[in-house]
Amino acid sequence: MTSAGVRTNARPAWLSQTREPRTLIRLAVIVVLLLFVLLALPSMLSLYYVDAMIQVAVYTVVALGLGILVGRVGLVSLGQAAVLAIGAWVSARLLFATSLSFPIVLLASGLVTMVLGTLVGLPALRMRGLYLALITLMLAGAITVVLSTTNFPNGGHGFLGYNGGNVHVPPIRRPSIAATDQAFFRYTVVVSILMFFLVLAHVRGRPGRAWASIRQSESAALAAGINTTLYKLWALALAAFITGVAGGLLAGGQRYLYSIDFVTQDSIILLAVVLMGGAYSMWGAIIAGLLYKFLPALLNNWGVSSDWLTILFGIGVLQALTTAPAGIVDQFPKDMARLGRRLRGLVKRRPPARGEAG
Amino acid sequence: MPSWSDFQPFLVTGLSLGGVYALSGVGMVVLFRATGVLNLAFGAVGAMGALIAWQLINKSGTNEWLAFLVCIVFAGVITLAYGMVFGPALAGREPLVKAVATLGLTLVLLGIMDLLWTSSGGASRSIQLPTDSNTFMIGSVQVSLTNVIALVFGLVLTLITGAFLRYTKLGTAMRAMANDREITATLGVPVRRVEATAWFGCGILSGVAGLLLADLVALDATTLTFLVISALAATLIARLRSITVTFFAAVVIGVVNAMITPIQSLTNYRDMTPFVLAVAALLLLSRKREIAVGRQGI
Repeated sequence: MTSAGVRTNARPAWLSQTREPRTLIRLAVIVVLLLFVLLALPSMLSLYYVDAMIQVAVYTVVALGLGILVGRVGLVSLGQAAVLAIGAWVSARLLFATSLSFPIVLLASGLVTMVLGTLVGLPALRMRGLYLALITLMLAGAITVVLSTTNFPNGGHGFLGYNGGNVHVPPIRRPSIAATDQAFFRYTVVVSILMFFLVLAHVRGRPGRAWASIRQSESAALAAGINTTLYKLWALALAAFITGVAGGLLAGGQRYLYSIDFVTQDSIILLAVVLMGGAYSMWGAIIAGLLYKFLPALLNNWGVSSDWLTILFGIGVLQALTTAPAGIVDQFPKDMARLGRRLRGLVKRRPPARGEAG
Repeated sequence: MPSWSDFQPFLVTGLSLGGVYALSGVGMVVLFRATGVLNLAFGAVGAMGALIAWQLINKSGTNEWLAFLVCIVFAGVITLAYGMVFGPALAGREPLVKAVATLGLTLVLLGIMDLLWTSSGGASRSIQLPTDSNTFMIGSVQVSLTNVIALVFGLVLTLITGAFLRYTKLGTAMRAMANDREITATLGVPVRRVEATAWFGCGILSGVAGLLLADLVALDATTLTFLVISALAATLIARLRSITVTFFAAVVIGVVNAMITPIQSLTNYRDMTPFVLAVAALLLLSRKREIAVGRQGI
């Protein structure tokens, strides 16, 4: 440990370029991983798991949005699944009512969701974070109430576009280039990557720096001349936008949406998996997506009740908050390193022990 | 437009629900002031207590009153246990983190309840309090003793809690801890013991609320867990400070929620009441532009 530290300190400035290969390797790993996910993965999986992976990609984007709020700005939203439902509703409505191309519908539902999501957060933003959490929890409850009355559009007429339950219901439209499940999975992953880039651009830029200072100390940020309300609102808007886009992807992926599938506790579980995955890192969002949608698919396939997962997520929240605030993404490599050290220690110790025994 | 006589029965429902929301809200505010934890698991704990009572009465044939007692004690013990384990571990963190941690307990309880008492297959459960059959008429409206108990209990509890916080030693200690935990500890107040009392008291109340709501609304894990939202709205309107405001806000939320029922165009949206009222209250309150910066407060 110390020797490494000394070496870093002693390294001349021109040598700091040696860091670059590391970034290159990381980039190469990401590219290979993406190519694998895009090209090989869909044909390796059964339709059941392709469907699950579409949802993983969708919820990765949702988790990314919640991760910005929780990890970057320090705002907790307990209504993010409700925001997703808004996005899904808007895009389903647009897909039935218009013949607009799919990307435009995604963009439109992102924008509508952004406006609605920001409006909800507005009254709570002047106050401390606890109020935002409570307001959004109530929003989650309220949206469940509204959805159970209005239902999701299924090709009917009027503003709500709901046709009653028992008539022939057409599926929600998909883009023509992504009609099959496998193709739609690829489509979803590509859109998700775009959302990651959008978030990355924000985090690396001016808003990211403002968020970081708000997170550290709101008073200090205020004193430094940062418009804290504006940047908090900005974070809410960005999270709502990408969640709205994810809602569009969910609508296209599921093809049939039922209000009974959107329950209040989803929003809480979503926060749980984001905290477990790691709210400070973008990789954490991917872990959160896998925890939230891949694990249930796996357990369901094995015939294990998903209620066990709810319990696990509950324990996960408590564990994350008490001992691993940066989530699995931070904890796992540390644990592995510790395990590696221990194993190495065992290996080193073993030969003399054997010698003694022999 | 429905006439006044259509509204009357819902006024009774609303007042009794408001009473339960009030006692839930007061329990949450007192715990919050004493420990800094907003107990979002309040509803889930009560729901589990009520389900255990149902199990005892219907499957084991236990005496009703004993089962109700078990429900209340269970709620108290589980809340106390949570407080003793995770209270100290999170003592130094922000209120937000403490509140989110109680969601962990909520999820664990929800998972256990869904595992043990599956709601699929149309299994519907209900708890009937013995006071349901004691009915009398006020004007032309039938009122059960349970309705009366719910409202009166909420009112009495608010008064007693107010007096307790004001006049007893323990209450003073709680108020002191609400102001500054560290200084209170240096003054020789047994901080942990005071906190334990607050946790246990809050738990007992969640058990009582769970039983009453199971009788008045429905015995369903998810419904009961998220009924806490109405009580939360009341605490929010009271800005997590005043128990008097909490009481009145809770009653208003309960009454408005119930009174909308006969109005055709709004009846499906009546459960949005807590959200709408809380947002309206926040908008009005935030006009004062109280900038949320500083060490104390939330």
